[in-house]
Amino acid sequence: MSGALDGIEVLDLTHHVAGPYCTKLLADFGARVTKVERPGSGDPARRMGPFAGDDPHSEKSLPFLYLNTNKRSATLDFKTDTGRALLKRMAAGADLVVENFRPRSLPAARLSYSELSAVNPSVVMVSISNFGQTGPYRDFEATDIVEYALSGIQYIFGDNDREPLKHGFDQAQYKAGTDAAAAALIALYHRAMTGEGQWVDVSIQECIATGLRDTTSAFTYTGAVKWRRPNETGDLPRSPVATKDGYIVPIAFGGAGWNETVEFLGSDALRDERFSTAEGRMENAAEVDRILRETFAQYEKSDLFHRANRVRGLIYGLVQDSAELYENPQYEHRGYFVEVDHPIAGKGRYPGAPFGMSDTGWSVRSHAPLLGQHNVEVYVEEMGLSMDELRRLTAAGVV
Amino acid sequence: MAGRALAGVRVVEMGQLIAIPFATKLMADMGAEVIRIESCARMDGYRMAGFYKQDASGDYWNRAVNFHEQNRGKRSVTLDLTKSDGLETLLDLIAVSDVFAENFTPRVIRNFGLDYEDLRKVKPDIVMVSSTGYGHSGPWSGFGAIGYGTEAASGLASVTGYADGPPAIPELPYADYTAGEHTVFAIMAALMRRAVTGRGQLIDVSQTQTLTATAPDALMDYAFNGRVGAPSGNRHRVWAPQGTYRCAGEDRWISLTVRSDDEWAALCETLDRREWIGDPRFEDGLARLGSHDRLDEMISEATRAWDAGKLQAALQAVGVAAGAALDGKGLLFDEHLNERGFFEVVEHAEGSGVPPLPYASRPWKFGATPGRIDHAAPSLGEHNEDALGGLLGFSTERVREMEEAGVIGTAPAGGLPRVESNDTLMAQGRIVRWEDDFEEQTRARFGGG
Repeated sequence: MSGALDGIEVLDLTHHVAGPYCTKLLADFGARVTKVERPGSGDPARRMGPFAGDDPHSEKSLPFLYLNTNKRSATLDFKTDTGRALLKRMAAGADLVVENFRPRSLPAARLSYSELSAVNPSVVMVSISNFGQTGPYRDFEATDIVEYALSGIQYIFGDNDREPLKHGFDQAQYKAGTDAAAAALIALYHRAMTGEGQWVDVSIQECIATGLRDTTSAFTYTGAVKWRRPNETGDLPRSPVATKDGYIVPIAFGGAGWNETVEFLGSDALRDERFSTAEGRMENAAEVDRILRETFAQYEKSDLFHRANRVRGLIYGLVQDSAELYENPQYEHRGYFVEVDHPIAGKGRYPGAPFGMSDTGWSVRSHAPLLGQHNVEVYVEEMGLSMDELRRLTAAGVV
Repeated sequence: MAGRALAGVRVVEMGQLIAIPFATKLMADMGAEVIRIESCARMDGYRMAGFYKQDASGDYWNRAVNFHEQNRGKRSVTLDLTKSDGLETLLDLIAVSDVFAENFTPRVIRNFGLDYEDLRKVKPDIVMVSSTGYGHSGPWSGFGAIGYGTEAASGLASVTGYADGPPAIPELPYADYTAGEHTVFAIMAALMRRAVTGRGQLIDVSQTQTLTATAPDALMDYAFNGRVGAPSGNRHRVWAPQGTYRCAGEDRWISLTVRSDDEWAALCETLDRREWIGDPRFEDGLARLGSHDRLDEMISEATRAWDAGKLQAALQAVGVAAGAALDGKGLLFDEHLNERGFFEVVEHAEGSGVPPLPYASRPWKFGATPGRIDHAAPSLGEHNEDALGGLLGFSTERVREMEEAGVIGTAPAGGLPRVESNDTLMAQGRIVRWEDDFEEQTRARFGGG
């Protein structure tokens, strides 16, 4: 099956997580993505764990293997004059350039948007950075947790009597990569309609701050400042609670309320008159919470999940760990995990398509590239360099 | 005036809450015409709570915070889809549109006769996007879901939380946003393809799958190494120390990461703890990772007297990644975001009682075709006459008949507003504080009103 983005040429100057997730989305849905890596060491994500077989080998980084499916790898030191000229030739043939360097890096290498658009006036360039290309935080150092802090999500994450939390791993980076991919297609669509290219500035901080429900608006609407989760509210927590064999997120929704929950849980202790109103439950929050905890602990999570979802207004969530997800019947039915074979890391089942498309496919056509795997294809077969020239550039460390 | 990237794209949205409305509002910001189909009998839950100044009188449904956040720049048409006239009008609208976007359970859409195959009969090249908790096929496809549940199911929650505690999710339906971000990408991919082939298609978004796709590390670790991950608080798997430490004032915190020995020395100097630099317990990343518990205590003790903002500036000045954990108000007034014009002031309808207010804008800034919030979220049925008369050419008389027959309307036919006072929210510990002079503060910073 063809891909929705077949025929789109992407010059991928990204590294680590945010940029590569953007170009992975594009590549997995059909775009041809050429990833430019630093000669010798390549994308720093190649050194990010965990590794296949716990072997810290540059072709065995699991995040790298996941993030770079369907891409080609060409090595290039574009800080050299020759390298810069080659990169400009590559950019001249690209529909889209994606990069996630610090805002000062590409201008310093004389490869800014204005310099690339001089060789390719209709090019779309998407730049992803920690805090955007302008503003007082532009050159700040950041990691995922710093993005969580400065984008406002961390303050409302965790228990209100403990330190603010963050999600595991690199959510801020993945979120920015997704937004950047959406932005890239909006810009390419505009180009398809009008011929006009442009530069798009994606700030990781703003990607998170765009997705915080009534957080700044709680203040502008009522003067309130939202907080982390309280320990005792006398109500169902919209967060994981322990069952006999794991965790469930109990949600009563769309008009369903306390009575439906009490009925569903079949708990006499919860039927207590004192708990029949919201005010009463709040007054007796510690007791209500204790009974709720004890009640949930009597059930198996999967039993609660499947039974709740047959009751109107109760929509429970099932906390699943990695092992359970690989066995999950829904993911199994939808063929979510896909086996990918890699010459050095070996075979493994990777997370697959985020969504389905009926007329065009999602597929892993090729594993994450070995460092410089496509140098001959890119420089000799496509750009017309001779093998001698490529060897010379390789010896000089440009490729 | 600069062009709009999505000029000429028309989206009919039958969305609720976030997963679809968030996606289409971003498209509206970029110039798409988005027509929201609403039901007077069963309004979007976001019209029913969170009113400006907690005032549930009058037409409260046009003053709700989350509805305004998710639906700015759109048009609103109310249609009673249980009446044949309502359903036919919806199909008429779809017939002149490019995209139909919805996030109901598959059963609801099927019962209305709004499956993709039904839509193709009136608009052969329609792009339909259906966003559901677990996707359109499979044993869980009939289950309803909201973001808290899909986040649980995605695998992400199992590797998130305090190290000694249960899995954790933030105080918002996070997964809905992840789904919405992927949905914009998906719709645009389908529109790009349609421009080439002339064919539309059905996009089947599983909200859970989109979140799993962004949290592959633990899954890949299991697939290759058989290891099942667990929550590890704020720690990084390699860089140490990383954490969130208490600062001076009420509930103030700083988050920081040390990625090298140089950064470690810079942190020690800034905190005036030079004696830690030579300490063999902390001499390199591996040693610091092994002493993390002890380090967290020591760092907390040292940050306790610092103002979080000042410490952020001091650490950034020496190259250490650090940021104060901004609360909602801090985010709104953040100097960097405001210098970049991240919040855009939106005027609300005259007589609505809501003054012009700033809203978070978009995750991107386009050079040639900047986005903008065209107007506030529509009042219920605000564009009934516009859309039915202007777009479909219905006569004034026919529109009036539809109104009399209750096919369209501008007021809810059921449901009660939900008000939670700030006093209650404080008592429950859901908000940390509220400030009486929020109107003056907002106006002083953002103008308007």
